[in-house]
Amino acid sequence: MAFVKSEKTPDRPAPLSERSVTGWMRKNLFNSWFNSILTVGTLLLIYFIVKGIWDWGFADATFMAENRRECFDNSLTGACWAGVIDWLDNIFYGRYPRDQIWRIHYGGLMLVLWMAPLWMERVKGKVLIAAGVVVFYPFLSGYLFAGGDKGVFMQLMVTGAVVALIANTANMITGLLKQESLKGFLLRVSGQTIAPDKTQRNILLAITGCAFAAAFIWQMNWRVDAVPWTKWGGLFLTMVISGIGIASSLPGGIILALGRRSKLTVIRVLCVSFIEVFRSVPLITVLFMATTMFPLFMDEGFVLNKLTQVIIAVVLFNACYMAETVRAGLQAIPKGQYEGAHTIGLGYWRMMGLVIMPQALKHMIPNIVGSFIGLLKDTTLVSIIGLFDILGMLRSISKDVPWLGLHKEPLIFGAMLFFILCFLMSKYSRYLEVKLSAGNRH
Amino acid sequence: MSSTVSQTGAVRVRPKEKFDFFNDARVRSAFYQLLTAGVFAWLVWYLVSNTAHNLEVRGMNTGFGFINNSAGFDTDFKLIDYTPGVGTYGRIFLIGALNTLFISALAIVFSSIFGFFVGVLRLSSNWLVSKVALAFVEIFRNTPLLIQIVFWYIGVFSLLPMVKQTLDLSLGAEMLLLNNRGLYLATPVAGDLFWLTPLALAVAAAGVVLLRRKARKLQEHTGQQSKTLLPSIALLVLLPGAAFFFTDMPLTWDVPTLQGFNFVGGTSVPPAFLALLVSLSIYHSAQIAEAVRAGVLSVNKGQTEAALSIGLKPGRVMSMVIIPQAMPAIVPPLISQWMNTVKNSSLAIAIGYSDVVSLFMQTALNQAGYAVEMVGMTMAFYMVISLSISGLLNIYNKRVQLVER
Repeated sequence: MAFVKSEKTPDRPAPLSERSVTGWMRKNLFNSWFNSILTVGTLLLIYFIVKGIWDWGFADATFMAENRRECFDNSLTGACWAGVIDWLDNIFYGRYPRDQIWRIHYGGLMLVLWMAPLWMERVKGKVLIAAGVVVFYPFLSGYLFAGGDKGVFMQLMVTGAVVALIANTANMITGLLKQESLKGFLLRVSGQTIAPDKTQRNILLAITGCAFAAAFIWQMNWRVDAVPWTKWGGLFLTMVISGIGIASSLPGGIILALGRRSKLTVIRVLCVSFIEVFRSVPLITVLFMATTMFPLFMDEGFVLNKLTQVIIAVVLFNACYMAETVRAGLQAIPKGQYEGAHTIGLGYWRMMGLVIMPQALKHMIPNIVGSFIGLLKDTTLVSIIGLFDILGMLRSISKDVPWLGLHKEPLIFGAMLFFILCFLMSKYSRYLEVKLSAGNRH
Repeated sequence: MSSTVSQTGAVRVRPKEKFDFFNDARVRSAFYQLLTAGVFAWLVWYLVSNTAHNLEVRGMNTGFGFINNSAGFDTDFKLIDYTPGVGTYGRIFLIGALNTLFISALAIVFSSIFGFFVGVLRLSSNWLVSKVALAFVEIFRNTPLLIQIVFWYIGVFSLLPMVKQTLDLSLGAEMLLLNNRGLYLATPVAGDLFWLTPLALAVAAAGVVLLRRKARKLQEHTGQQSKTLLPSIALLVLLPGAAFFFTDMPLTWDVPTLQGFNFVGGTSVPPAFLALLVSLSIYHSAQIAEAVRAGVLSVNKGQTEAALSIGLKPGRVMSMVIIPQAMPAIVPPLISQWMNTVKNSSLAIAIGYSDVVSLFMQTALNQAGYAVEMVGMTMAFYMVISLSISGLLNIYNKRVQLVER
């Protein structure tokens, strides 16, 4: 006879105090008399704050009105959102010509189309996609937003961007359908899968060349009106400045960080002083320097518009902050990784690109995204030197005759907008961190 | 040159390493460094010559002589004496620098205290409290500081009652008055023999230090704990109090009083100052709260459990076990937040508080137009400040490391 159970005893349910709502409350809210007082006090505080916000921002608020007087007629204690709603277009697009706004939308859609494959599991060649966005997208969108005549260089870059975008989209489609790269697909269709490397390369080059030529001819008769940068504004301008800042501060930061850890004394000293100078002064002084002193630095007669000056300042400033973040990541990589890479015969750039940087950047994802968030928030400073970015637009609502003196609501609206953007970014970085570190967990 | 004897006994001569000029590491490094130095030197020369040329063409003044020129404008907030038309640009720079340092110092103190408080709330075992603290931190960290500053200035401090309906925060004593022109404080004016009271306070403080040291020694030697809290408080209150009382209370208040359209007397700070102080304190306290939380969480949980198991009370666990170990993780981000506070105080320019950027780099620059010198001086000021703060951090890091190992 065996006194061994042949089946598992069913799990006993957790005690009631662990799984019931009251049990949870007793444990987390009322576990001592002090905590009970605290809980009640906090509840009261929340009640008053939420009620205040609700009454002011919603219950007593005016959403539809012609001007501020009507808001006051409706309610004296509530918010006047009508002003914000009336200015919504200005807040988003600035003074961009209203019949041209589709260009901004197209630009945004193109970016989404271009970057979407980065989030698809089945699509291959993510690094190439990201590089394509950083290199080509600025030219395509730059032309789309600014318009006007294209120089030869601009024509070539726009063509390159069109080819890259089409290839990117085709790559996404083949990836989604067949889970193979565009290169593999083209070779398979042309029946050259097992051909020597050289033949394959020639075929691909020929296809790219044809596409390039076709695209070049195609883009020749594109013509969009010129929109001077002074008409750019609102959230759009904020996105342009911070987008360029984000896209170029990471490469710049990596270069500066490598320079700072370089064995070559001259390069190291230069990088350290560059980084430290920019990190020790406030952004506003750098912006002032860019706008007041940049014209002095350049050749006589060389004129650069204010927007470009501001963008240069933002990029340099943020590259220096990014450099410190990247450096912290590099310092966290154990020496063995460098030695291992050397042992298998990798040179400096291959070692950095294939072994060190991927690990260092992965380590620092939350900090890198933190820097991006900081950049996005700091972009509002350009309103101080007279660009009409989102904050500039929000503040000019109060100078518009129908909405004279409407200060609070626009600012709160702007704050909410930034909160949503920044909060989502930081949450996503946490998610990414967890996802990418899955392989490291023991 | 070098030769090895192989196992068969034959002597094999290793071929002499050829000196490959293009692939030699030292040659390459020298080449790259020379190249960089050359490019850099050319860049500096290019910029300097351009600037010199442009300044000449535009007929702009150069040199630091302007520092002794008198400035013709006034500022609404200054910590040192200055008369427009008489005071020099050097003095204007000094006023701006002091204003920056003054508001940064206050904001640093407030944000550190409040940040620690919120950080502790974040770690509270009370679910509701920790979530409220989380909401506070997320809201103020994820919105631009500039929007917050402008909001506090326009949305709060400019909407305060007018001078006629001044709010009295001291409940009728007229010591602390708030209206849309700023905050008015009654200032103590010291009379004869008042110096005895601070002296007594210093003596009392020294006494408290001695008392605590003695109690600590006693505990370390014998394990006996002695109560120091009550005697300390008594010492700190009674001694200066007695000194103050026996010198016939030599202290009067300079109370702000309404004369005509404004308050006269006492000390006053403009609304821009208040707005900047409040927004900097809140914004940075949210950042500091996160640093505090991360620091405390970096201490191993076993430390808490061990401390509890040897019978320490929760409060003592915090003060004797957790905090000392968390400090090395908290202090570096804390100090970098202090540095950010100093730098962010430059946003004063958006609301017109006379800090060094808005007073010197904008107003004075527009008046006198020594762009290169003025921007350079302002940047140098910030560099000196942040280098000293990071020097402070390095000293602290060294000390912590020495204590630890």
